[in-house]
Amino acid sequence: MNIIEIEGLTYTYPGAETPILDHVNLQVEKGDFLAIVGNNGCGKSTLCKTLNGLIPHFITGEFSGRVLVDGVNTLEADVGALAKKAGYVYQDFENQIVRPTVLDDASYACLNYAMADYEKRGKEALALCGLEGWEQDYVWSLSGGQTHLLALAGAVSLGPEVLILDEPIAQLDPGHADRIYGVLKELNEKHGKTILVIEHHTEYIADYCKHVVLMRDGKIAWKLPANEALRRVGELRESNIFPPQVTLAADGLRRRGALPWEQALPTTVEEGKAAFSPLSYRENPVPPEAAPRREEEPAVEFRGVSVSYRSVKGEPRKIFAGLDLTIRRGDKVALIGSNGAGKSTLMKLMVGLLKPSEGEIFLNGDSIHRKRTEDLSRQISLVYQNPEQMFIQDSIRADVSFAMKARGVKDYQRRTRQLLERFRLEDLAERDGRLLSGGQMRRASLAIGVALDPGILLLDEPTANLDIATRREIMKTLEDMKEITGTVMIATHDMQLVCQWAQRIVVLKNGRVVADGTRDQIFGDRALLEEVGIRPPEIFSMGQALDKRALCYTVEEFLDSFGEGA
Amino acid sequence: MELGTKTKKKLSESVLDKFSMDFLRNQVLKNAYGNDDTVIAKLDPRVLIAWYLFFGLAPWFVNDLWFLMASFLLVVATTLLAKVAGLVLLVFALGVFSQTGYLLLVSLLFGGNGDTVAPLLVLTLKVATCSLASVTVFSGLDPDKLSCGLMWFGCPERLSFSISYAYRVLPMLMEEFQNILLSFRLRGNPPIREGFVGSVKYLWYQIKTVMHAFYPLMLNTAKRSRTTVEALEIRGYRNAAVDKTVKKMKLAALKVSYNDLLFLAVSLLWIALAVLASTLA
Repeated sequence: MNIIEIEGLTYTYPGAETPILDHVNLQVEKGDFLAIVGNNGCGKSTLCKTLNGLIPHFITGEFSGRVLVDGVNTLEADVGALAKKAGYVYQDFENQIVRPTVLDDASYACLNYAMADYEKRGKEALALCGLEGWEQDYVWSLSGGQTHLLALAGAVSLGPEVLILDEPIAQLDPGHADRIYGVLKELNEKHGKTILVIEHHTEYIADYCKHVVLMRDGKIAWKLPANEALRRVGELRESNIFPPQVTLAADGLRRRGALPWEQALPTTVEEGKAAFSPLSYRENPVPPEAAPRREEEPAVEFRGVSVSYRSVKGEPRKIFAGLDLTIRRGDKVALIGSNGAGKSTLMKLMVGLLKPSEGEIFLNGDSIHRKRTEDLSRQISLVYQNPEQMFIQDSIRADVSFAMKARGVKDYQRRTRQLLERFRLEDLAERDGRLLSGGQMRRASLAIGVALDPGILLLDEPTANLDIATRREIMKTLEDMKEITGTVMIATHDMQLVCQWAQRIVVLKNGRVVADGTRDQIFGDRALLEEVGIRPPEIFSMGQALDKRALCYTVEEFLDSFGEGA
Repeated sequence: MELGTKTKKKLSESVLDKFSMDFLRNQVLKNAYGNDDTVIAKLDPRVLIAWYLFFGLAPWFVNDLWFLMASFLLVVATTLLAKVAGLVLLVFALGVFSQTGYLLLVSLLFGGNGDTVAPLLVLTLKVATCSLASVTVFSGLDPDKLSCGLMWFGCPERLSFSISYAYRVLPMLMEEFQNILLSFRLRGNPPIREGFVGSVKYLWYQIKTVMHAFYPLMLNTAKRSRTTVEALEIRGYRNAAVDKTVKKMKLAALKVSYNDLLFLAVSLLWIALAVLASTLA
């Protein structure tokens, strides 16, 4: 039985000239777990909003064709009735939460639709989403992953057959991401819900989804079983979707002649074990990593630093207690750890935005306690996780030149031009930063961050919330920047970025440095990975599954290690 | 001498440190939700609003010092019971002082006698009583209970939703504002705070920064609220505003308990005692 039937759907946003959805036809079976993939702006989110009636009831525009959800024509039902058929979780889910306590928010919609058992429904939804025991907590005490689960519970409480999630794990660390998908899997398998996700992480698609729809320019290119879909390496790449690393590696091996052409490409590590079994590991031709240089002078030093946040109730929450850490000049450090481990706090301490309650922080040998924040900014610069908060002027050009102008840098106009050119922002220079796409915003924020030519650059989650293609672009930019910046520290969940970019990795857990070393030292330590909940890139796990000696961090390294054939 | 300036500098620094956006945000949250386990917060909002109507209005019409004193002491007690956040009390103290307190102080300093002091004392008591009663009710109750109570008295659903939603977004807005201010701080270059002229220039710079920070704040908020508006629509906000049963269900949670009656009884007894004392005296 089809729970969703879309026939000849064409939709144009008000004021737009070309339709964003163009004669879309799609059937989704009841109980499916469907991933929708496609380029930015290909109409994925728009398509999903036609399913819960927001389009055309709330967002008008030119609408033609027919959309049936659970047998109901969306044109004939109102948004309220459709909310009980299809639940929706936004990408910026925190803006979807409107009530102060967890249970209140989960049951809010049920109360609004006058369901007598609204509290019971809220509680059940919370239990389904793994938030049992949090009912009376305040929403701002939840972690990012829990907030997402709450947004999901709010949708589940109405008992819809279809659940739609727009990029559910874009902002989450792997531990939380696994939990979200675990919950979705249970809703799908045990409770028979049909699940639609807009997703860029093909590893998750391979592990959880049953079908994949590829959208291209407002049309459905194809709908295929997940395995088959992920094997279409070429087509996916054309749409800026990157297949799982295992699949890419198999494709590469095929091209090198190490695997037969007719063999079906594996999509998960499990499948990879079988497919790659004839291959043998060859000692990595790349020389082992040089030991990190220790002779350089310290750029930043933490000595016995403690810091705590005020809490709404009770004792202040301690983030760090007696933290010691030294960052040396020229270090390219990745700071990793789960959400709430203290990564952002550490960066805020370094730029003087937070003051430690105990201990001292030294910047290039001087204690920052006695310096003004404004004076520090020539030596150290912080690029926020949310680039929007860095746009304080009405154009990118003004934002880039702001700090130089304020400090009377003589040739600031020439330097601004150079920066705009370097970060490929010339065409966007006069636009307001907020109106740019995710990748452009991120590039602009990097340009702002390096404007004063600081010796130390701190980047908070530079690749979060980006699709894979944009992420690659930012990674390339970071790679290019290696020459112009001295010391760089990146706080991130993105292990591919860590493996490709970092020369030193610092692992934080509960405000302590639990590990500090090269990628071989960190990722080679299974007990540590287990303890902190870090997941190495898939290709690394693949190599490990084949041979314990193999430490491959990128697909290329994997090909070099295993590509010589049997 | 040097030690003196040093401590002074340290003191002003620590006061400035404390009075940050982070502090404000924490106080707002504390005020709204940090005291939900107090005696006052557990009372029925309708009882409390009715109580407030009496203590917010009656003092204006009575000039009896006994009665005013008693009312004042009572609301001081309830304010203490409500564990009101420090910032709110500070604002209260400044407010009362700027209204009448300074007159009282001036007349005392410049040799005012009982004739001038008494009326001023009465006025100060009136203002203080009525303000503290408001503080007890509006900051002792959490916003949701308060809006439920207001709804029972016939206030439109939109108003009561706005109250509770404002408390939901306020911390988010303040955090956003804080981050934008930090951007200005990191990238700006304020004048050096030295001497009187320097201080004035510095202050003016800070004021300008706060004003400039509003523009990005508004734009970022507008961007965020797009999702919120759509989510409210899906989650039946409009439906609730017109559906009578929803209102009934929301109000069904309100119950007058033994504690409420006790609270009213104690208040009544106390005032009665004061009136009695006043007639006897």
